Amino acid sequence: MILTFENLSSNMAAARRLKRVAISQPGFLTLNPKVTPTDLVSSRRKRVNKNKKKNWNKYSDVQDVEEFLEDLVNLKFCFLCEEAAEPVKGKKRKGKSSRPLRIDLILQHDSLVAPPKDVLAYQKPNAKKLRRTAERAEKLAANGVVPRSKKRLLNRTVVDRMSKKTETEANNNPERDFYDIWGQETKDLGEPWYLQQTRKKLVKRPEKLNEKPSVLPAVEVIAPGGSYNPDFFSHQELLREAHEVELKKKKVEDKLERQLAYNKADTATEETILREQVEGLVEESEEEEEKDAPKEDGEEVAVGAIAVADKKTERQRKREKAEKMKEQQRLTERRQTEQQQQLFQLRSIKTSIKQQEETTQIRQKRRKAKEEAQKAQPRRLGKLKFQPQDMEVQLSDELAGSLRQLKPEGSVLMDRFKSLQKRNLIEPRERAKFKRRLKVKYVEKRAFKEIS
Amino acid sequence: MGGLQKKKFERGSATNYITRNRARKKLQLSLPDFRRLCILKGIYPHEPKHKKKVNKGSTAPRTFYLLKDIRFLLHEPIVGKFREYKIFVRKLKKAYGKTEWSAVERLRENKPTYKLDHIIKERYPTFIDALRDIDDALCMCFLFSTFARTGKCHVQTIQLCRRLTVEWMNYVIASRSLRKVFLSIKGIYYQAEVMGQLITWVVPYQFSHDHPVDVDYRVMATFTELYTTLLGFVSFRLYSSLNLVYPPKLDSNGESEPKEESEDDYAMNSESYLEKLSALSASLARVVSSADEEEAQLDQFPSEGEDMEKMEAREKELKQQEAQKKLFEGLKFYLNREVPRESLAFVIRCFGGQVSWDKSVCIGSTYDVTDETITHQIIDRPSVGKQYINRYYIQPQWLYDCVNAKILLPVEDYFLGVTLPPHLSPFVEEKEGDYVPPEKLKMMALQRGEKPGNEQEEDEEEEEEEGEQEEEEEQEEDDNGDEEDDEEEVAEEKNLKKMEEQRSQGKSLHVKVTPGKLKVENKARLEQEEKAEEKRLAIMMMKKKEKYLYDKIMFGKKRKVREANKLAAKRKAHDDSEKEKKKKARK
Repeated sequence: MILTFENLSSNMAAARRLKRVAISQPGFLTLNPKVTPTDLVSSRRKRVNKNKKKNWNKYSDVQDVEEFLEDLVNLKFCFLCEEAAEPVKGKKRKGKSSRPLRIDLILQHDSLVAPPKDVLAYQKPNAKKLRRTAERAEKLAANGVVPRSKKRLLNRTVVDRMSKKTETEANNNPERDFYDIWGQETKDLGEPWYLQQTRKKLVKRPEKLNEKPSVLPAVEVIAPGGSYNPDFFSHQELLREAHEVELKKKKVEDKLERQLAYNKADTATEETILREQVEGLVEESEEEEEKDAPKEDGEEVAVGAIAVADKKTERQRKREKAEKMKEQQRLTERRQTEQQQQLFQLRSIKTSIKQQEETTQIRQKRRKAKEEAQKAQPRRLGKLKFQPQDMEVQLSDELAGSLRQLKPEGSVLMDRFKSLQKRNLIEPRERAKFKRRLKVKYVEKRAFKEIS
Repeated sequence: MGGLQKKKFERGSATNYITRNRARKKLQLSLPDFRRLCILKGIYPHEPKHKKKVNKGSTAPRTFYLLKDIRFLLHEPIVGKFREYKIFVRKLKKAYGKTEWSAVERLRENKPTYKLDHIIKERYPTFIDALRDIDDALCMCFLFSTFARTGKCHVQTIQLCRRLTVEWMNYVIASRSLRKVFLSIKGIYYQAEVMGQLITWVVPYQFSHDHPVDVDYRVMATFTELYTTLLGFVSFRLYSSLNLVYPPKLDSNGESEPKEESEDDYAMNSESYLEKLSALSASLARVVSSADEEEAQLDQFPSEGEDMEKMEAREKELKQQEAQKKLFEGLKFYLNREVPRESLAFVIRCFGGQVSWDKSVCIGSTYDVTDETITHQIIDRPSVGKQYINRYYIQPQWLYDCVNAKILLPVEDYFLGVTLPPHLSPFVEEKEGDYVPPEKLKMMALQRGEKPGNEQEEDEEEEEEEGEQEEEEEQEEDDNGDEEDDEEEVAEEKNLKKMEEQRSQGKSLHVKVTPGKLKVENKARLEQEEKAEEKRLAIMMMKKKEKYLYDKIMFGKKRKVREANKLAAKRKAHDDSEKEKKKKARK
């Protein structure tokens, strides 16, 4: 009522029209139940032009038609669900949207015979059994018994990420576990061909790879003189060895120095410098002449020698040929006689053969021994040669009186590293030098600059 | 003859080898990765016989690999892992650069890793193969386990190495397979006999690390990576062969239970177990607890090739070994805090002794200094404050020398403050005619169970001198316990000497009285003469060539003996001069 009063009092034509339109709608409810919506609309009929389609939509009374259509929808369109129908009912909008689609009308089931009821749609399979199981489950639940499926769910270990992580943990994980790798038989997963093609089977390792590249033992025990409290003589022996090593080093150094040495008298004095500077300025012309003269002579001689070679005459050729034949004959004869003579030299030949064989045998032996010795030697595997580590030695006055005062000499790490190199497992190598790609620029910071 | 011209370097050795760089490119790996792969797979560079042929005419020094080896490497699944890792690093770098921390975390969680199990199986097809190669692995693990956790290598690697070495030591203790120990200036060499294989390893002294700069740590770490895996599998197998639980568990019902009190203040809970294990003082739990295992008697089947002498010799050796295994059984040791605890505990436990230490030194001590049943206290300082009467105070070298000599040596030479006899290397085996140091001779005589007279006198002299020294010391310390012991010993020895003298006199008389024995001697002499005659004849009958060889060999032997004699004489002179010096100094 208040709303209508306000609306009326607003005195605006547009508003009034709107109100009228709203009230004329079929679903409109006034606040006062006694007043019907039709009463509110003034009895005076409004005139409108009917030649405009817009006005047809607005002012023609289509309520009875719509009601009829609605009935149709409610009665015959059983496939339209209620939820869909409701908004249609509520809105009751006029126009295209409120009407059923033509396609729906075409698809409409127009047979008068009702479709047969699908019984199965209303029936549950095993309904009895299900009911019974449900009943039993209820009873068990009342007794506090958890069904198996639920139990399994509860018992299922939670896939936590931590455990997975440890599984794929790197092989330096201190808690990693080991198993009997040699005891378990490899189980056949399938055909060998299949395994090979899917790269599930590893390629067989060639036997040759299992041979060690050196015959040296993995751990070479230090000489007895290297004991922390050594026997006098073995210690002396070790010292002597170390001394020899040092001597060798010294020798090499001395040799290098000798090679690099120069005569002290050869140093430049003022005189020699002056002479060097003047060199070539004085007596230049004479020397050149001297140089040129023999050159020309040589050229002349060479030309002459080529010119001297003459063509041979027919006679000369024949004679040469005859001489050649004769020489050949002589040689064949000589060879024959020699062979005949060899018959009488059989014994000496035998001995000479024997000697040869002996020498080859000796050589073979020597070669074999050398090969054996080579096996224990470090090979040349790269740019650098193997350098044995410095000998660990303690001088007599460095030796400790007791285990407590012992100062360890050398490093086991170095020893191991050199041992690997010595056994040809890795190549001796220098540490790669760090190469800077870009230049470094040093700039003094301002704060620093202020002070300095 | 027609045909195509043969090109150079397309056949023969040039095609059998491949340079390192080409191999690296073929595998699509960076140089460090390639090197790591080669180490893991056991593929080593090769020196060709004719370098110039292989190097296509150039003589530049290069590293070569066999082409077939590299082809074999192509099949390795780990190569793929290396590539994955490379990509992982690249992604991680990028994420860091963009400061995408969640991405960094996610990448780190999915870091690609690999295992070396299949490589171990491939490289060592049987357990014995692996055991033969275990020397290197042990050395490396012991070395890495002593590293400080400073970032020179991965901390986890150090921990794993520590765990594996402790397991190994516990195995050696349980199987009693230690044979030799040698204290060198470099480190301690151990030798054990495991399943018929002699295994040698070296352990650095504790706290002796100066890291050398010219060692490639990356290479060493790669070797360690392989060797830790190998050692783990080997120790699993060894433990199961002894019916021990793996990973090792301390025996809960052992007679020597480590005290519980000191645990908390020593190590964190997570670490304390490993620490207790590494204390080496308790025995390990077995799968089948067997109270007394019966030693399987070795069956004796004299094979055809062997004669009885060899059999007997072997039996004797076996007996000796058995005796050595029980060397310290029944003895109770106490380690002072200045001696190397781990090494000594290991050695003592390997031969069946009981050991303990001050509870502030390490976890796992089983009894106190005050225990009256302690038989030996290992000490390495010039003097002690309080001494107990019923135990020996000896220097640590005694233990090691006993192990090497396979008998309990007389303790007198190793008493407190005494100049120790030299520690001889057990790894030296003298051949016939070599120079043998007198200390070793003495030891060998002791092993045979006799005391040569001449040396005994010397010994006595020395002992008397030492006794005097000790007496003086003890007077200073106002402790007369050991003195009494010494006096008793001296008295006993005197008695023994008297008896020996009597016996010798009796023997000579015996010989004079009965002519029958003389005859026996004659027989022996005759036999000897006969033998000598035979030998002489055999030498005479030799061919000229053989004779020459024989003479050469004999000359070599004689020369060796001569040299050994010379050294011995020198040594005697040296000893004499030392003695005189001592005497003079005393006067």
